[in-house]
Formats: sequence, C-alpha cells, structure tokens
Amino acid sequence: MKRTLLLLVCLAPVLAHAQGEELENPGTVLAVQDRTYRMASELWIGIGVAPLDAFYKGVTGQVGYVYHFSDSFAWQVGRGLLSYNIKTGLRNQLETQFGVSPTAFPQLNWIVGSDVMWTPIYGKTSWLNSSVGHFEVFGTLGGSVVNERIAADVASGSGQTVFRPAIHLGLGARLFTSKNVSFRLDFSNEFVIYKGLEANILLVQLALALNFGGTE
Amino acid sequence: MSVVRMQPVTAAAVALVLALPGFAQTPAPQSTPPPPATKAPAAAAPPPPSAAPAAAPASSPPAQAPRPAGAAAAPAQPGAAPATAPAAPAAAAPQAGQPAAQQQAAADQPPPKVDPKIFDEALKDYFDNKQEQAARKLYAFIESTPPTDENFAWAQYFLARCLIDLNLRHGGAVYLAKVAHERSNPQVLPKTLEALKVLTQVPHDEVLIDEQIFGSLDLGFLPDSVSDYANYQQGLVDLRVGNERWARTHFVKLDEEGVEASRAKFALLVTRLRNAKQVDDQMIDDFLELSKDQKLTQEARNEARLAVARLRYEKKDYEGALKAYDMVQLPSLDPGRATLYLEEAWTRYNLGQLRATIGLLTTLDAPSFRDEFLPDKYILRALVYRDLCQYLPAKRAAKELTRRFSDSLEAIRERDDLTQDFRLRRAANSHGSTRRTAKFLESLNLEGEQLGRHAGGFGERLYKHLQKVYDLAHAEAERLYQQRLQEAVREEADRLLRADEQVRLMEYEVGLKLYERVKRGAKLVQPEKQPALTSAQIAFKFTGEYWNDELRSYRVTIPSRCIEEGAQ
Repeated sequence: MKRTLLLLVCLAPVLAHAQGEELENPGTVLAVQDRTYRMASELWIGIGVAPLDAFYKGVTGQVGYVYHFSDSFAWQVGRGLLSYNIKTGLRNQLETQFGVSPTAFPQLNWIVGSDVMWTPIYGKTSWLNSSVGHFEVFGTLGGSVVNERIAADVASGSGQTVFRPAIHLGLGARLFTSKNVSFRLDFSNEFVIYKGLEANILLVQLALALNFGGTE
Repeated sequence: MSVVRMQPVTAAAVALVLALPGFAQTPAPQSTPPPPATKAPAAAAPPPPSAAPAAAPASSPPAQAPRPAGAAAAPAQPGAAPATAPAAPAAAAPQAGQPAAQQQAAADQPPPKVDPKIFDEALKDYFDNKQEQAARKLYAFIESTPPTDENFAWAQYFLARCLIDLNLRHGGAVYLAKVAHERSNPQVLPKTLEALKVLTQVPHDEVLIDEQIFGSLDLGFLPDSVSDYANYQQGLVDLRVGNERWARTHFVKLDEEGVEASRAKFALLVTRLRNAKQVDDQMIDDFLELSKDQKLTQEARNEARLAVARLRYEKKDYEGALKAYDMVQLPSLDPGRATLYLEEAWTRYNLGQLRATIGLLTTLDAPSFRDEFLPDKYILRALVYRDLCQYLPAKRAAKELTRRFSDSLEAIRERDDLTQDFRLRRAANSHGSTRRTAKFLESLNLEGEQLGRHAGGFGERLYKHLQKVYDLAHAEAERLYQQRLQEAVREEADRLLRADEQVRLMEYEVGLKLYERVKRGAKLVQPEKQPALTSAQIAFKFTGEYWNDELRSYRVTIPSRCIEEGAQ
C-alpha cells in the first residue's frame, strides 16, 4: 500500500506536466505533400566494380528493368551483369614467382537475376540551403545465376565455365534529378551457393535510371 | 566618401535641379552602347560661333586650385587639350588636406573653354570602357558648349550612359531627363526615352521620370518603342487624380497586344475597385481574365488572382476565394507573401476549416515572415482555439499580440513619434509608395557612396556637380519619404490598435469560458475525422524546422474540447 502511494506521488508531477503541455500546446503538425517523384517502369544502366576477390578486380557493366507496383514495393524483373576482370599484383606475383597455374583462379564472368525491391525511406535534403533534393533508400532480395570461369587453357584462350545459383542481397539509394531521371548507388552481394556457401561476390555500382510512365 | 545630406527642400528644388545643366537622373544600365555613328556629326561640327564669348572668361587661367585635367589643359594648348586631359585625373581629385574654401572656389570658377574635339575623345573613351575619363570630358564639353550645339544633347546622353555604367543611376537619369525636356536633338530622344524606360524598372525618382518625363511628354512624335509606355504613364497620372475618362483616352491608344495594354486594364480595374461601392461579378470576371494574361508579369497575374480572391471573399463566396488563392503561383522555393497566407487562413476559418487555418497560421510563424506586421494573426489564432474550446491556448494567443507589440502600443498611447517605432516603421516600409520611396532613398545612399569612389576620375568640377545633384535628390527623397512614412505609420498604428482592442475582448471572453462550470454528464464532441494520407502523399512531422517547399502543406491534428450540446 505504501509503495503504491509512493509510486503515485512520484508519478503525479510527470502526469501533471504532460497534461499541462497538452493543454498549452495542443495538437500535432504534419507537413503533408504530394510525392514529387514516383517511379513506374524503370530501365537502368550502370557501371561498377567487384572489389572483393584478392586475385582479380572486376569492372562491371549492368542493365536492368524494374516494375514499381507502388511507391514502396517493386519487382526488379531482370538484370544482367558482365564483368571485365583485371589481374591483381598478387596474382601476377603468384604466377610469375611461385609458378602457380593460371587455371587455379576462378573468376566472375556474368550474372543474371531477378529481385524484389522494398523502398521504406523517401526523403528530401537541402543543398546549400538553396535547393531541395529528393532521395529514397531501398533494399533488394532475389536470386541470381552466376557464371564463373573455373579453369582456363592459357594456350588456346578458352576456358571452362560453370553456372552457380546465388542469393542476391542489396542495399541502394536513389537520388532524383527529374521526374524521369534518377541516379542509383547500389551495394549488393551475391552469396554463391554450391555445396554450401562457395563464395561472396560483392558489387558496388552507380547507375543511371530512366523512369517511364511515372505519375505527376 | 559619403554625400553630404542637405536640409529637406521643396519640390521647387527639384525643378531647379532640372533647370541646371548637370542635374539629371541616370537611366538604368544598358548593356548595348549606342551606335558609334553618332560620332560623325560630332567630329564634323565646327565650333559654334556662340562659343566665342564663353571663351573670354574661361581663357583666364583659374587660380591654383585643382581643376579637371581637361579643363586645365584647354586654355594653355587648345589643340592638345584633349590629349593631355587624361593625364592628370589624380590632380583633379579633391585633396583631403585642401581647405574647403579653396575647393569651393575652384568649383565656383567659370567653366574653362575646351576644344570641341574633346567630345570625340570622350566618345572614344566611352567605347573603350573608360567611363570615368569619358564622363569628365563630356562634362567639360557640356559646360563650355552652348545648348544649341548639335553635339550638346549627345554629350548629355553619353554622360548619362557613363554614369549609369558606373552605377550612378540617378545622376544618369538627371541627364537623360534633361535631354528629354530640352528635345534639342530629335535623334537623341528615342534612345534617351528608351534608357529612361529601362530605368523605371529599378528604384528611381518617380516624380522626375514617371510624372515629369513620361507623364507630360508630347506624344505626337514619340517612337513606337516608348509611345505605349508614355501613354500608359500619362493614363496612370490621370487615374491618380481621378480622371478615368482622360486616362481612357490614353489607354485606347495602346497596342492591344502590348504589355502596357494589360497593365492599363489592371490599373483601370484597381481604380474602379477602389471607387466601387458594391462589387459586381463583372469586375471579378475581368480580374480573372487578367490573371490569365500571359503578357503580364507573374507578379501582376498573382495580384489579379489575389484581387479575385478578395472580391469573392467580400461576397462571402469562400469556396471561390479559396480556388483563387490556389491559383496563385509562386516560384520554386519562394516563401510567398504573408498576406496571402493570412487571407487564405481567414477564408478557411470562415469555411469552418479550423485545423487548416491553424496550419496556415503555423506557416506564418516561419522565419521568412517573422518580421511581418500581422496583428490579425494573433486574433485569428485565438479565435480558432476558442472555437475548439482550447481556452488556455486561446488566451495565450491573444496575450501574444500585446506582448509582442508592447513597445509599439506604448508608443501609441504615449503619443510618441511613431516613425521612430521600429515595428511600425518596418511595417510602413514594407508596402506601397512608402516602400518605393524607401528603396529609392536607399539606392541614393548607395550611389552617393559610389560617387565618392570616382572623385579622382571625375575631376573636381564634375564631382562637385554630381555631389550637388545627389544632395538635392537625397533631400527631396528624404522629405517625400518622411511625408509618406508619417501617413503609413499612422495607418499601421490604427491597425494595431484595432487588433489590440479585439484581443482584449477575446481575452475577456475566453477568461469567462475558462472558468465556466462543466455540467454533470457532459461529453466531449466527437472528434472530427482526419483525411487519411493517400498513396501519392508523404508526411513529414513538423518539429519547428521550416522548409520553404512545405509552407502551404501543414496539416494540424488538434482535438476539440467542446462539450456536446444538450449535456445536463
């Protein structure tokens, strides 16, 4: 009983303050605006890098098409990536100084896939207090097929390639510049699965996105 | 160096300024220089015989006081005078340590005779972008040449252009006005009038340019480029004195496709509105039509829309008024005008949209409008809170007015000089003719400072002369400003007093309600349903940070604390 009384005595000023505040400043204010930018059908083209592998760095080119069901949910119907791989110094060193066979280094050739896209964040930002920019942040989750070269016949220039399934997980941001044009920055990872998790392919990409049929 | 401000002078002083050779207002800066073809007549023109008598007093070398270089060189070597002229600008500059009396004596000396070729040299300097040197030579030429000389008007015109290029617009306008008044050379006049027309787009001497030039021009000879503008200005002058019929005789001459025709329609409608005892639908339609006229500026179209909204409000067509307010188009990220939001807030209040009204009043608290003089804002806020039975906020909103304007109210009650009250003065300066005069006065101050920087380049005679021009203009502008300010602050004080009175009534009423006994079994009224957000909308919670793009978008959720009718 005493405890209850003590608790009530302690809580009373807090409640009174809250009530007083509500009485003096009633209500809440929201700035309700029409979305300036809304996506509908999006075609994008981007360039990026696959920086994770120690033996090569991939310079990638990718295109894709996204259909936006709503402002927060979309389906990345298809995307295709092609990688141009550049040997690292480490690999050169291994090949020339330690006699490691060039066929021992698997590397990415291309990826195709499809994802769902969720856009929970839409916001605006001020540029030098003189203009307002709009952006959104999205996540992607989907599946991919990864084509890798696992062996190479150096003499003939041909090689052996394999297909691997992969889970695609990504995070990206989009900066709108007009109703029809926006720029995307994507960070994604392909979890290549073959008898367990075989490899991670991290991709960083900057893309130009064209929007068709967006509502005003 | 700042221009010395003289005591206020009467309008007669302005007339005197116009009568003097050097007193003219500078036209607005123009990027395209006049065609150099005008140089030809100047070079060919022999020195007029009438110049001979003038040479007599000038030929005696002045005292050792500094003089404009061109002027000093002329008596000694008539032929070489122009060439030596630019050599000594510094010597001509007023010396800081020189006794004032000596400087005055130098300035009072009769103008020295100069070789007419100095005009050509001045033009060359002008086209070589040496405006200071050109101005000094042109002034020397004007001083020593009779007005009948065929290059006299050209010299005035180019002197004006030099001054305008040097941001001494008023000085330039005075010379352009002289050309327009004297009309000694018909070739110069069109360019002069065009330059003056451009000047009207920046703060300028309205009496000198609008009334004494465009308002009184003989319209028969005017080129097409300025005749419409002159007709429009003359119509405006007639409208101001209440002669609509005379104004119409000018307005009917306007080209229907021209911008002046649209502006004239607007002016006619505003005048009619001012004189009308009852608003008719035709007037609203006329304003509506004008609001779609693409020949008008965006600002003028917005004014027409606001006029439509106000007229509909007067007729209690609140929905129609809201539509008109919605039509007002603001540039991207432009905060707009406080009066627009306040008027819309009143309209929504009359429609019973209390929360939308509070939303607009939230807008008016934005930093962009912090300095606005809006006593109504506090009354309206108190009214809304009262209608929602939020009596404590209502009382606080009402008190806010007396708190915020306590100094001004005190000054009114004590019958102090209201022009010295910061808030009332700012309110008076924010609109109408007081604002225009204040801006002109400000531009004169700035140009006065600019003039000091050219003291060396202009030479003493021109510098002193321009100082006089600016002193007189400043004195007259100050007099006019004070006169308008007196009237404007009185109006603002009246507004404030009326608002204060209403606020006191409101406080009393709210005080009674605040302590009213609540009956047994009383229930709060059902809360109003708030419209849900659509998929195309986005909401940002307002936390006191104002974004210009959100100013018209605030949505307030505030519960009503009113008791249901019929409670026992």
